[in-house]
Amino acid sequence: MARMPLALLAVLLLLLPVLAQDSRAPRVGPPRPAATPNADAPLETVEADVSTRTLEVTTGFTGHEIIVFGAIDNSQAPEGDANYYDVVVVVEGTPFPIVVRRKSDVGGVWINTSSVTFSSVPSYYAIASTRPIEEIAGPSVLERNAIGFQHIKMTPSASYKGVLKEYEVAAFRDAVIRLKKKQKLYVTEPKDGVVFAGRSLFRAAIPLPANVPVGPLVARTYLFRKGEAVSAHIARVTLHRAGLERVVHNFAFLHPAGYGLFAVLVAVGSGLLASTFFKRRNA
Amino acid sequence: MACALTGASYGSITRAPLSAASHSRKYLLMNIYLPIAEMSVNAALFLGMGWAVGFLSGMFGVGGGFLLTPLLMFMGVPTAVAVGTGSMQILASSVSGAVAQYQRNNVDIKMGAVLVVGGVVGSVIGVSLMKILRQVGQFDLFVALSYVLFLGAVGALMMIESVGTIRKRQTGQASPRKTGQHSWVHGLPFKMRFHRSKLYISALPPAMIGAFVGFMAAIMGVGGGFVMVPAMIYLLRVPTSVVIGTSLFQITFVMAVTTFLQAVQNKSVDVVLALLLIVGGVIGAQFGAAAGAKLKGEQLRFLLAGLVLLVCLRIGWDLMNKPVEIYSIGPVIGGAN
Repeated sequence: MARMPLALLAVLLLLLPVLAQDSRAPRVGPPRPAATPNADAPLETVEADVSTRTLEVTTGFTGHEIIVFGAIDNSQAPEGDANYYDVVVVVEGTPFPIVVRRKSDVGGVWINTSSVTFSSVPSYYAIASTRPIEEIAGPSVLERNAIGFQHIKMTPSASYKGVLKEYEVAAFRDAVIRLKKKQKLYVTEPKDGVVFAGRSLFRAAIPLPANVPVGPLVARTYLFRKGEAVSAHIARVTLHRAGLERVVHNFAFLHPAGYGLFAVLVAVGSGLLASTFFKRRNA
Repeated sequence: MACALTGASYGSITRAPLSAASHSRKYLLMNIYLPIAEMSVNAALFLGMGWAVGFLSGMFGVGGGFLLTPLLMFMGVPTAVAVGTGSMQILASSVSGAVAQYQRNNVDIKMGAVLVVGGVVGSVIGVSLMKILRQVGQFDLFVALSYVLFLGAVGALMMIESVGTIRKRQTGQASPRKTGQHSWVHGLPFKMRFHRSKLYISALPPAMIGAFVGFMAAIMGVGGGFVMVPAMIYLLRVPTSVVIGTSLFQITFVMAVTTFLQAVQNKSVDVVLALLLIVGGVIGAQFGAAAGAKLKGEQLRFLLAGLVLLVCLRIGWDLMNKPVEIYSIGPVIGGAN
């Protein structure tokens, strides 16, 4: 019996890191860069949120525009200088493994001949910024914060090491970005993507297309000053199936046999129903 | 399982333009998000497509799977979903015909049963092969090649036959009918008596024909009537009066099994998409049947042959031409690579 408090303490100790993490502001992404311009003034920070925290993909889903809005705290921008700060918003979907295949001419027929598997590629990636991102910061800063299509983290599966040359893998990588752009899943709003309303308030409209893969989205907001990221903030959006769309999808994937039988019954039923309807009408 | 769940998230590259195009037509009828194909489509467009295919199939008396499945693929529906959903649509459109033929006593049940047994075996092989081909990234190629091969052969034969008949009719020649011929088919073991067809032949050829058709059905999303009917007439010498009924009987059962297997193994049956196509299709078929009644048999076959060859050429053209984009992206299926 005397051990009870001890056990409780142990459990609490185990939980401590988890509890601590929960209570902190969600800053899972890139670490907040340290920058100290004026030692005496408080640091400027950015805070942001998304207009819609949860989005439902229903049978009527045709895409949705989410608004990322935020404010700069302790702005040190001199009066009248609108370009003192830059804001970049990156909205990223859940990473998934994907296969990229390349066709080549085999005896007059175009056939998939080589492929590269990337173990994790964001399903969706949108950038909105006050100016084109290349003007805001240098490549090393952008890379460190994973901003920009060329800095999306895509790691090819280890099995390609030595089989494919570096530049060949790079071509596959470029193809992913190109194809995702074509599907409107990788989008960029380089000009006026982020608009300031007043001195410290800003907003960015991110269009989610109808084919956006269902899953959680992460919206990272960066505050830039003179080419350096001085603050960052993370907000989340969950995108989940709802209504009939959810029912059908879950049925198909969780109970495939039941769904298969259901599909057969629907087909037979509708076929017979239609024929009796038209027979009666034509008689 | 995680892969399967996320699998359909990546579609073909034509998805985005489609949803953009249908967006402007939003006022016409609401867009529907297809749960398995994972794309938002204009309901009116797909109802219309079902109608058009239904019209042609009603007119020519064919299932229409060979038209519908490629059409779905051209529209950006992932090939696997087009094939899987196609089988469900064919089931719906053939079941009423099969019932009607059965009531008119035009079905050789015994022959049909042998065809079904073969068909189910073929379907199981086809659906499993489809899964493997998807993993290695050659499924689309295999489907396209199968279409070019079968549509090309059947279209060309039908074209030659119908042109010959039209010529003969113009010159007033009667076509000679060969009867009572024996072929190699009659020398095989496992002989069975098929009363309704007035045949005493080995069960192997019908079982093999059934298996072949079941295999095609699973891989290509077609009913396979355009192969089964000629095979039954020319190879098995089944009387024409029971050919249509018996083949519909086989198609109905094999399609039911294929739909089920596609749903279980490949998760590629979209019930919402199928319903759109079925509703459009049954209405279209009524108009098509009325239109077809005004044309002669060989004229219909000539037109159908032209249509079959057009679909074949279109798919062949896509295979032979250098694609604009030689790369493609897709989900990792079943942990391949």
